[in-house]
Amino acid sequence: MMHPRKLPLLVAVAALAPALAFAADLNAGQAKVKEVCQACHGLDGNSTVADYPKLGGQYPDYLMKALRDYKSGARKNPIMAGFAATLSDKDIENVAAYYSSQPPTLAPRY
Amino acid sequence: MIRPSAVFTLTLLFSAALAAQTPPAAPTPPGGAPANPPAAAAATAGAPAAAPAAEAVGDPAKGKDLTRMCEGCHGIEGWRTAFPEVYHVPKIGGQHAKYIAAALHEYKNGDRSHPSMRAIAGSLSDQDIANLAAYYAQGVPPTMSAKQ
Repeated sequence: MMHPRKLPLLVAVAALAPALAFAADLNAGQAKVKEVCQACHGLDGNSTVADYPKLGGQYPDYLMKALRDYKSGARKNPIMAGFAATLSDKDIENVAAYYSSQPPTLAPRY
Repeated sequence: MIRPSAVFTLTLLFSAALAAQTPPAAPTPPGGAPANPPAAAAATAGAPAAAPAAEAVGDPAKGKDLTRMCEGCHGIEGWRTAFPEVYHVPKIGGQHAKYIAAALHEYKNGDRSHPSMRAIAGSLSDQDIANLAAYYAQGVPPTMSAKQ
C-alpha cells in the first residue's frame, strides 16, 4: 500500500506532468524504439556501451530536442542523423516519452 | 615566390608569438576555473581539429573542482534552459564518461551548439574534459527509496 506521505508527491507529479505525457503514445514509442533505437541504447535506455548515452529516465523535452537537432543537422552526428531522419515528429514525441518513462539510470542532479 | 607550406609555418609562428605576448587576461569562465593559457591553444591550432590525439585519462577528483561552472544548471533538479530554446537541462550524473567527453568536445569544436555550453566547453582543456567526464560518470542513479 502506498505510504500516505507519498500521496502529495504523486499528486504533484500528476499535476506537473507536461501535456505531452498524455499526448504521447508509450506503446508506439516502445515499438519504434525496438525498431530503431534498441540496438545501441537498449530497450530501457540503459546503454551498456560507453559510446552511446544512457537515456532511461532522461527528461523527454531534452530527448526531443536532441532528436530534432539530429534530424535538422543542427547537431552533427552521422549515426544519429541517419536514424533521426526516419522519425516523424510524432515518433520523436513517442520515443522520447517512452525512454523518459523507463526507470532512471541517471541522477537528476549531481 | 614563397611556398604555401612556408606561409603556413610563418603564420603558425606568428600566431604563437602573438599568443605569447598576450597578457594573461584570458577570460575566466563563470565559476573561476582557470582558462587555458593562450599559448597552449595556439600550439594546438595547427593540429587536426578532430578528437584529441591520445585519449586523456580522467581524474574524478580534479573533475569535481571544475563542476562549479556546471552545477548552476546541471546541479539543480528540473532546471530548464532559458535560451534559445526552453527544455530541461539533461541529467548527466551516471552517464558514460566517454559520452560526456564526446559531448563536451562537440560543443568545443562547434558540432553542437548551445551558447553557454559552447562558451564553457571552449574554456576546457582536453584534460579538463576527461576529468569532468570521469567525475560525472560516477553518479549514483537515484533509487525509488531515495528521499524526496
